[in-house]
Amino acid sequence: MNTVWALTGIVIKELYRRKDFYVLFVLTALITLAAGSVEFFKDPNIVRYVKDLCMLLIWVSALLITIATAARQIPAERESRTIFPLLAKPVTRGQVILGKFFGCWLASGTALAVFYLFFAVITGSREQHWPVLDYLQAYLLQWIMLGIVTAMTLLGSIVFAAPSSTVTILFIVVAGILFLGRHLNTVALHNPEPLRGIIYTVYFIIPHVELFDVRERVVNDWGLVNWLDCGLAALYAAAYTALFLLLTWLAFRRKSLN
Amino acid sequence: MDAILQTEDLCVEYRTRGLKAEFKPALQELNLSVHAGEVFGFLGPNGAGKTTTINVLLGFIPPTRGTAYLFGIDVRQPIARQRIGYLPEMTYYYKFLTVEELLRFYAKIFKLPSADAERRIDYLLKLVELEPARKRLIKTYSKGMQQRVGIAQALINNPDLLVLDEPTSGLDPLGRMKVREIIQRLKNDGKTVFFSSHELGEVETVCDRVAIINQGELKTLGRVDELVARHGANLEKVFLDIVGYQSQPAL
Amino acid sequence: MKRTSPGWWLALLLAVCFTLATMFVPRAAWWNEVPRAADWNKGRSESDNVFKLLLGEGRRLFGNEMFVMADAYFHSGYYPSIFDRQESDQDVATPAYGKADDEDSTGDDFLGPPPDWIAALNRRFVPNKHTHLDSGGPTGHMNTVEVQEILPWLKLATDMNPQFIKAYRVGDYWLRRLHKPAEARDFLFEGLHNNPGNVELLFDLGWLYQKDFHDTDRARNVWMAALRCWETQDANAKSNTEAQLAYEETLMNLAILERNRENWPQTIKYLEMVKQISPKPEAIQQQIDEARQKMAAPPAAASP
Repeated sequence: MNTVWALTGIVIKELYRRKDFYVLFVLTALITLAAGSVEFFKDPNIVRYVKDLCMLLIWVSALLITIATAARQIPAERESRTIFPLLAKPVTRGQVILGKFFGCWLASGTALAVFYLFFAVITGSREQHWPVLDYLQAYLLQWIMLGIVTAMTLLGSIVFAAPSSTVTILFIVVAGILFLGRHLNTVALHNPEPLRGIIYTVYFIIPHVELFDVRERVVNDWGLVNWLDCGLAALYAAAYTALFLLLTWLAFRRKSLN
Repeated sequence: MDAILQTEDLCVEYRTRGLKAEFKPALQELNLSVHAGEVFGFLGPNGAGKTTTINVLLGFIPPTRGTAYLFGIDVRQPIARQRIGYLPEMTYYYKFLTVEELLRFYAKIFKLPSADAERRIDYLLKLVELEPARKRLIKTYSKGMQQRVGIAQALINNPDLLVLDEPTSGLDPLGRMKVREIIQRLKNDGKTVFFSSHELGEVETVCDRVAIINQGELKTLGRVDELVARHGANLEKVFLDIVGYQSQPAL
Repeated sequence: MKRTSPGWWLALLLAVCFTLATMFVPRAAWWNEVPRAADWNKGRSESDNVFKLLLGEGRRLFGNEMFVMADAYFHSGYYPSIFDRQESDQDVATPAYGKADDEDSTGDDFLGPPPDWIAALNRRFVPNKHTHLDSGGPTGHMNTVEVQEILPWLKLATDMNPQFIKAYRVGDYWLRRLHKPAEARDFLFEGLHNNPGNVELLFDLGWLYQKDFHDTDRARNVWMAALRCWETQDANAKSNTEAQLAYEETLMNLAILERNRENWPQTIKYLEMVKQISPKPEAIQQQIDEARQKMAAPPAAASP
């Protein structure tokens, strides 16, 4: 595992030496602060729209950081040929995949923590109320979801030619699942066979990342999700993450390094 | 004497693209052995199969047929690379790291204890004369400095076998001299060096044995002095004779 | 040739920015200004609407979506998507973008039982109960003041679609419930500025003056203005159900005002007008008869 953690450290170092995270954080902060500075009907206590907007920006930014970081890991290693001195060491391709995965996931988790801290400060200063456990749960669920996205993106980076293709395709796929994933069964019911069967198949195959989207609960103060349900969701995420990493390893094993 | 690097009937074939895919041989039944403590030169014209051989030895590509061993371990096992160091032809290192961070990263991969790793890093940075630049990012280095980074990372684990792919490529005469000095020092320390090069002059100077490969086939293998004596000419002439070079008549 | 110092370029840039800001700030200030009564009938240049500049007529779609957001907020996020609406099921909570005559259903669960384990797990992570912000919200302990959270979306709805009368009326209602009559009045003024002579907004304004400002005279004036505006409207505008209801209520309230002043002829006049459009003319006739009786009764004897 030393090798995996060594690779993880490299990925994290790369993330905080690039500018992506800082740009997205500054953008999120600016937009949230601008939205929060508007006063509607002379009421300074209105806060939910700020929470809603901030959480939306956090989700978009976190997905961008995760997908962009994961999409360029393996292709950048191959393109810059740093994969050669790396694999010339006693490192397996599986360890490279795992190291990249943990690096991207931990890096996105760190970035996400900073976003949530900002969110808590902004909303707490307005609401005078800090539901810390709610925010922590929302953060953990989103971070778990980003594990699935990271693994999917790593697989995409092996399958597709260029990092830009991977980023575009994965962003569309993840956004599509977030918006439509929970409704596909309803859509299937309104369609005749064989389309119904196809949609149902897609519904059961795709990773339902929208499970981890508790923004509406946080914004509307619904309280905590049952921790047992969170545990089930985490197991679900772990299964899909493991599956995507396995597929990534199988694809990377056969891939030429040039 | 046990060979620490050995290939047995090693074959690599590439599949060409197109509707009628054909298999093009890059290596044909290569049999090599390199013994401990020697400096072995691997020569050949461009496209002869030198880099393909090194790629197989390092596990980058699988052989189509045949086997290759490092320290008696099949090259497809990652543990076979525990005691080797590799210097690629082009310098490929993480540009966002400093040389110190890069060496520390590779030391972790080799599972060196932290204290030993720090001592080793200090020693190597002095050896390759990168001590003043240890805190600068690699992307700010010149080509010569990046080549020295390569030498440092190849030596981080104090390897018993050093694989060098064109180590003096792109270096100025001073740089080439430093590389030759390092190879000589390694030889004096009892290390084994396997390197491919186009610089026949330095091969003749430092190598104990050489192999010449052309179009994927091993053409000759032997001690440098024996080859030179047999052909009655310097190594360059020997090389040209073996690869079948014919000078063009004057126009 | 000497290169210009970067400081001069910075100073020039600051000067340009300051100049532009001084040009645009007065233009932007109108956004928060309360339109005066005299401005009600003045047309406003549509290019002053920044959303129209950016989005064109598509802004109206966004305006409708903003209203849906307000409704979703009112239900604490528990809201049917376009996929959840069961057309055959009448007893279902319909979204704000449903038909105009749909009402918020008493049905608690538009989703029905979960069809599979994924949907069942999904429902534990999203709002899953029909609640209203003004009656405690999802935890049952929220104050009515939480309803203020829907206001930004109503404001955005009207900014995007200044002709969205329903948004002005709903906003006015909740502002009054939140004891913000001045803000409700300003919001209605804004609506009337964008929709001069709108009978529904005039009715609401009169109601606001009467109930919250206790200014009966002003309420009467506004309602009479509503009647005058009604007469000038074309048949298409008069056929609008909400407008008809507002007209009827205006007449009814004017009748009540006159009755309270014991101005029986005017009371009967308004009631006669109501009777022509009321779905229950006999009830109105009864009130007319009562007014006539009171008109005919001798005045009470003066006390010694």
